[in-house]
Amino acid sequence: MNTLVIVLSLLAGAYLVAVLEAWLATGRFRLAAPAWAAVALLGRESIVPRTPDRIFFETAPVLLLVVALLVSAVLPLSPGLIIADMTTGALFVNAVLAYVPVALLMAGWGPNGGYALVGGWRFLGQTIAYSMLIVMPITAVAMRAESLLTTAVVTSQGAVWNIVYQPLGFVLFFTAAMAVSFLPPFDLPTAGGELAGGVEAEYTGVRLGVFRLGRMVLVVSLAAVTTVFYLGGWMGPVLPPWAWSAIKILAVSSTMLLTGHYLPRIREAHLLAWCWKLGIPLALLNIFIVGVMVLIWP
Amino acid sequence: MSPDLLLALFTGAALFGVGIYGALSQTNLVMIMMGVELILAGALVNLVAFWRFLHPDSYAGQMFVLIVMTVMALEMAVGFGVAIARFRARGSVEMEEATELQG
Amino acid sequence: MISLQTVFIAFFGIATIGFGILVFRTSSMVRSALALLFSQTALGAMFLAMQAEFLGVLQIMMMATEMSIMAIFMVMFMMDPGGLGAMEMSHQKRLSILAGVVGALATAGIALFTPWGVVVNVAPPAAEQIRALGTELLGRSMLIFETAGVTILTAMIAATAVALPALQRKRNA
Repeated sequence: MNTLVIVLSLLAGAYLVAVLEAWLATGRFRLAAPAWAAVALLGRESIVPRTPDRIFFETAPVLLLVVALLVSAVLPLSPGLIIADMTTGALFVNAVLAYVPVALLMAGWGPNGGYALVGGWRFLGQTIAYSMLIVMPITAVAMRAESLLTTAVVTSQGAVWNIVYQPLGFVLFFTAAMAVSFLPPFDLPTAGGELAGGVEAEYTGVRLGVFRLGRMVLVVSLAAVTTVFYLGGWMGPVLPPWAWSAIKILAVSSTMLLTGHYLPRIREAHLLAWCWKLGIPLALLNIFIVGVMVLIWP
Repeated sequence: MSPDLLLALFTGAALFGVGIYGALSQTNLVMIMMGVELILAGALVNLVAFWRFLHPDSYAGQMFVLIVMTVMALEMAVGFGVAIARFRARGSVEMEEATELQG
Repeated sequence: MISLQTVFIAFFGIATIGFGILVFRTSSMVRSALALLFSQTALGAMFLAMQAEFLGVLQIMMMATEMSIMAIFMVMFMMDPGGLGAMEMSHQKRLSILAGVVGALATAGIALFTPWGVVVNVAPPAAEQIRALGTELLGRSMLIFETAGVTILTAMIAATAVALPALQRKRNA
């Protein structure tokens, strides 16, 4: 039951995010746009390139979708509404997100195409840049909650939300979350106009549909992770808990899309340099500050 | 005798054997490292099995697992460092060609 | 009486070994690296089946990035990374198979004939495990853990120093 509700709400969220993305791209607000795009993709021929690595080519879009769904399995949308309240929930989020580059690497290698290959390897470089910025802010969040349970993380924010308690961690995690879901300005593996779609270049028809759906669900899942870890999850006045979750998740995902819309695409070398020379020291500083604060003002 | 413990230990033994085969038979440095990874993976299974089925109250076993995971990561890092250096110097990391130190 | 735990341990054990063998059976390097990744992931799942939840999730997490990086190095350093040329990449095959089989049989024999003593059938709950492991890390085993940390730092510096091109090393010195 919980599983069904969460999966359906994720899909609904992904649809709304797709509407927003289409709005930003075309400048027109059309509620039916993603539906028509999906129908068009389903109807189109599914071309398989010459001499592909068939296993990877077929698995990659599905793996991306599965990863995106698994992330949300440990996130509570309201008290009790959670698929699996794992004791190692916060670590599990990290573990699952580590499979996004695996999916993209497969998608890059599988179709035996130049642009796709460049896109796939590029994302691996991007992984090396962002992965520490996912792990270290989550460490600080778990330190405050004194638990890896995601529900405990939410209840630990009863007095003050983590966005106020550890703003530095929020900014780092938000940036890294955008990099995980390769949203602009971190859309290096797809890079329209430069790589001709990158990892998506050789995909058509149903497979492209699944890939895009997986990416949208990933965006929503990461927004949900940000909500649970930094924005107090389901907490809020007046409205019921699930409504607050929905509002916050949508707000975070549209902020992600809007931020990317107004920024130029970052260069791979710059991304690596900034993440390692600036991001990681800041993340360590964040852990230190939170450690001191937990002692004096829990 | 519990079948679970034996199963886990047999898995470890099989991984060890596959790893030995890989480390001895492959000609490329990176493939040899994969064999070593498998050997270490075999050690990991055994450690977890020993902790779970023999001493679940002593956490030194879990600690040991963490150390072995660290060793795996270090082996990768140093191995790739050496691989890059050798590839720069010689243009290949094929171990059949690495005969400079042969008597 | 075969419990569910036994079934899961056997299943993931077989998966681990199967993918492990696949690593050396394919000539495509990316397939090889990802087979190793799935072997390690199945191992992590096996840890979960053995109720070592923290270690299982940690294993699943660490190996994903590690093996993806392995994949790019394989493609960089192999002569035929796609495996389309059907190049022979192994030597002393018979000796290696012999050594592998003897090694596996010897370890399995030791596992079979050692008196392991009393087997405990109840594992502590996951939350308690994590707490106790943390206490262990920052208590009794702190020095070992610190040593591991310093070793990582040393290895990072050493690996970087070895990998830097000679020319750049001279300029920076």
